[in-house]
Amino acid sequence: MEVHLVSESLKFMVLGMGIVFVFLYILVLLMRLQAIIIERYFPDRPRAGASASGGESEDEERARVAAMVAAILEYRKTKTGGN
Amino acid sequence: MLIRFLLPLLIFLGASSLWASEPASAPAQSTVSQSIQVKEEHIPKPLTVLLRDFFKTTGIYAILNPSPEALNGQGEKMSAFAQSWGRIIMFIVVFILFYLAIVKKFEPLLLLPIGFGGLLANIPVVNMTAPDGFLGIIYNMGIGNEFFPLIIFMGVGAMTDFGPLLSNPKTALLGGAAQFGIFGSLVGAAALSQYTGLVDFTMRQCASISIIGGADGPTSIFIASALSPELLGAIAVAAYSYMALVPVIQPPIMRALTTEEERRIVMPQLRRVNRREKLIFPLLIVVLSAMLLPESTPLIGAFAFGNFAKESGVVDRLSHEMQNSLINIVTIFLGLGVGSKLQADKFLVLDTMGILVIGLLAFAVGTAAGVLLAKLMNRFSKEPINPLIGAAGVSAVPMAARVASKVGAEARPGNILLMHAMGPNVAGVIGSAVAAGVLLSIFN
Repeated sequence: MEVHLVSESLKFMVLGMGIVFVFLYILVLLMRLQAIIIERYFPDRPRAGASASGGESEDEERARVAAMVAAILEYRKTKTGGN
Repeated sequence: MLIRFLLPLLIFLGASSLWASEPASAPAQSTVSQSIQVKEEHIPKPLTVLLRDFFKTTGIYAILNPSPEALNGQGEKMSAFAQSWGRIIMFIVVFILFYLAIVKKFEPLLLLPIGFGGLLANIPVVNMTAPDGFLGIIYNMGIGNEFFPLIIFMGVGAMTDFGPLLSNPKTALLGGAAQFGIFGSLVGAAALSQYTGLVDFTMRQCASISIIGGADGPTSIFIASALSPELLGAIAVAAYSYMALVPVIQPPIMRALTTEEERRIVMPQLRRVNRREKLIFPLLIVVLSAMLLPESTPLIGAFAFGNFAKESGVVDRLSHEMQNSLINIVTIFLGLGVGSKLQADKFLVLDTMGILVIGLLAFAVGTAAGVLLAKLMNRFSKEPINPLIGAAGVSAVPMAARVASKVGAEARPGNILLMHAMGPNVAGVIGSAVAAGVLLSIFN
């Protein structure tokens, strides 16, 4: 049985890349759709995202820690200054 | 050749001189053997014969004197070359794997167990790869039936953050373009076996080799054990070696296909993703794969389950286990099981060379396709897209994304593309699982 491997594989390529792109394109559309729906009807409560590991919330956390450290240092400075 | 004749001679001389120097202990030994004789028909042997017989059971003897009757773990006859030089070459190959893992730090978590499995698989006399041997049991437990790759996928899902993808959904398409590496190398493998007499791959074998282009270890193992288990060892070694070599393979291709200006593109800050989006996303990909391509649901389902457990936030214990102990245990078994396929008689064939060449081609083509689509998208998109992030579309999480970020930072210091590249990177994992599903649905 002589099968032309290359032409077979070219067919697979068309099918495969087609399915991959269709799949991911539908996924893109669904992601956009869910983002719109969720943003409109179920927006995050301001504190809810704090536990999620987003880059932004990490920055906020870091800023908060920095503020606390600064406050403590300031407090200690005034305390030692008073004594 | 000389050693082959000299060594038994030396041992024989040594043994006979030992015999001569210990006449006093001989009577004691014979009385001991007499008392045993009553029970189990023990035939007394002089020490020379004993030593000679023992020598025949050693590994040195087995390697120096290949026997035409010797069988491998699968009960097939082994060639004299596979029993002697083949084993020695395989020992060198596994030492190269150890070197890459330990000194070069290339995917040590997998190359080290695979290398050690390969070492054990080539030990003469005992057949550890037989179905009741150490490695054979591991192989049948989870690789032959495609179970371990799914557990690994579950753990990877539990480690993956889809935030960057959700905040910029269109980058998912870049993860699709990189799958061109799979199908491009499928054509390459078919051409290689059709137009050159070097290798003779069947269509199934071509398909399982080309999946190396997905740059995803578990997917490669999953497909190889489903479509052509005989090539599993070479495919897994090629996939993991090239994944480790991503920082070497990708940058020249990325630089060749982009201009300095394109590499300097700064991408806008990613929007903050709602927690509910992340929670729904794994369900979305399961439903989508169930509708379009049920063949891919084992991989995508396991992946989505891990991710869902993580994002739910209520089963931290389970998600922690998937990300740590479970994936570690399975990695040990997966490595040893794959290593069992590095038997000399299976690995040292021309096919392996073909697999290594096609695998490299697959990586290069995947990278190029990702970069080219990103260039195209940059031209038509409102927001600028740095073409370098297209290269991260080959899975290899998170190495490929790091490479994209590094090359970007070389062109414009301080331009951090890492999070932007993570989008195509995780989409690449989904893309290669979909491509794997397509290949399975074609052949099943």
